[in-house]
Amino acid sequence: MEDVESMVEDEIVLKVEDLYKSYNNVIVLKGISFEVRRGETKIICGPSGSGKSTLLRCINLLTKPDKGMIWLEGEELTTRSININKVRQKIGFVFQEFNLFNHLTALRNVSIGLEVVKKMKREEAYKRAMEVLRKVGLEEHAHKYPAELSGGQKQRVAIARALAMNPSIILYDEPTSALDPQLIGEVLEVMKALAREKVTSIVVTHEMGFAQSVGDEMLFMYDGKIIERGPPEEVIHNPKTEIAKKFFERIQELYGREKR
Amino acid sequence: MVSVVDYVPYILEGVLWTLGLVGGGLLIGFIVGLPSAIAQVYGHRFLKIMVEVYAWFFRSVPLLVLLFLFYWGIFPALGFKLDPLTCSILVLGIRSGAYQSQIFRGAITSVGEGQYIAARTLGMSKMRAIYHIVLPQALRISIPGWANEYAIILKDSAICFTLGVMEILTRTRYVVMATLEPLIPYFIAGALFIVLTYSGTKILNTIYDKLKIPGLIWRM
Ligand SMILES: Nc1ncnc2c1ncn2[C@@H]1O[C@H](COP(=O)(O)OP(=O)(O)O)[C@@H](O)[C@H]1O
Ligand SMILES: [Mg+2]
Repeated sequence: MEDVESMVEDEIVLKVEDLYKSYNNVIVLKGISFEVRRGETKIICGPSGSGKSTLLRCINLLTKPDKGMIWLEGEELTTRSININKVRQKIGFVFQEFNLFNHLTALRNVSIGLEVVKKMKREEAYKRAMEVLRKVGLEEHAHKYPAELSGGQKQRVAIARALAMNPSIILYDEPTSALDPQLIGEVLEVMKALAREKVTSIVVTHEMGFAQSVGDEMLFMYDGKIIERGPPEEVIHNPKTEIAKKFFERIQELYGREKR
Repeated sequence: MVSVVDYVPYILEGVLWTLGLVGGGLLIGFIVGLPSAIAQVYGHRFLKIMVEVYAWFFRSVPLLVLLFLFYWGIFPALGFKLDPLTCSILVLGIRSGAYQSQIFRGAITSVGEGQYIAARTLGMSKMRAIYHIVLPQALRISIPGWANEYAIILKDSAICFTLGVMEILTRTRYVVMATLEPLIPYFIAGALFIVLTYSGTKILNTIYDKLKIPGLIWRM
C-alpha cells in the first residue's frame, strides 16, 4: 500500500523542457526546464517582467512557445495536433484579477464549466459546485453575484471554479496581488488547505510565508531564466545569487512585517 | 369638405407600416450586426477587414442614396424584383447592421478579455466562451445603444416615402395633397413619431433595468 502511494506521489504530472518564448524579438523565456510531481506545490517567484506569467500562459496553451516541450501526464502539449480545449480542462488557472463571470452567481461561476465543458446535468453540476464552494468557505454566498462579493471572496470563487473541474494541476498567477492586505489571509488559507490535500499546483507568488509553509520547491526566475531552485527556506534565506538576495530583501521590506 | 376625423385612421394605419419597417430593419440589423461585431473582435484579419469595409460603406452613404441604389440599381441588376416595402426593410436592415455592429463591438470590448480568457482556460471553445460568457453580458450592455438605434431607424424610416411605402409620412402627404391643408396632418405625423420614439425607448430602458446584474455598475 505504502509503495503504491509513494509511486503515485512520484509520478510526474507536468514536465517543461527547454522552453523559449519571445514577443516581438524580445526573448521573454530563455530555456525553462522543470518538473512538477503529483501532489507537489511549486512556488515561482522573481521580479516583475521576468516571465512568470508568460510561463504559465505557455503551459496553459494561452500562448505558443517558440521552442521547447511541455508534457502533461505524459501527453505532449507542444504538438500541433493537440486538442487545446481538452488539455485546458485538466489545467486550472487562477488569475490575479479573478476574472469571474460577472453575469453569473458564485454557484453558476463554478458550475458552468461542468455544464458546458464536462456536459454534466445541471443539478449534478450544482451539487458538485456547492461542494467545492463549501470547501472554500463560501457556501452561504453561493447565490451572490461577483459584484456583491469582496475581493477575497471573489478569488475563492475563482479557486473553486478551477477546482471543480478536477484538474490535474492548478496554476495560480499572483492570486493575492490584487487584494487588499486584510483579504489576503483568507485566500492563502484556502490555498494552503488545498496544498495539504496534495492538490498539485504551481503558484506564482511573493507571499514568502505561504511559500515556506506549503511550498515543496521554489524556482526563482530572472530575465527569462530560472536562476535559483530548491526548498523555499533555502532559496529565501540563503540565495546564491546577488539578484535573488536583493529581491528577497526588497520583498521583506514590502511585505515582511505581517506574518502569514 | 374633408374633416380631421376622416383622415386620422388613414394616417394611423401608417403606424403599422412604420413599425414593420423599423421592426424588420432592426431584426435584420441584429442578424447582420451581431456576427459582424463578433468577427471584428474575435475573427481573423480577413474577416475583420471585410466587416470594416461593410460598416464603413453603409455608414458613409446617405440612406436616400442607398434606397435608390438598391431599389433602382442593385436589386434589378441582380434580377430581383422587390416591392418597395421589402426593399426598404432590407436596406434599413443592412444599414442598421453596420451601426449595430459598432454598438455590439463596443459592448463586447467592454465585457473585457479577462472573462473570455477565463472561459477558455476552463476548456470552452471560442464559440462557447462567446455564447455563454461574453454575449449575455454584451447584449445587456448594448440595450441603451440599441434603444438609440431604434429611435434613429424610426426617424429614418420616413425616408421610405420616396419609394412609396405606405408608412406614416407617405399617407400624410397623400392627405395633404387631397385636403390642401398641411398643418394639422404633418403635426399629427410628428406627434406619432414622438409617441413611437418615447414608448419604444421607454420599453427598452425598462428591459435594461430589469436585466441589471446585482451590484454591478457598467463602465461605459
Ligand atoms: N502579449 C505580450 N506581448 C508583448 N510582450 C509581452 C506580452 N506578454 C508579456 N510580454 C513581455 O514579456 C515580459 C515578461 O512578462 P511576464 O511574463 O508578464 O512577466 P512577469 O509575470 O514575471 O511579471 C515582459 O517584458 C512583458 O512586457
Ligand atoms: Mg505576471
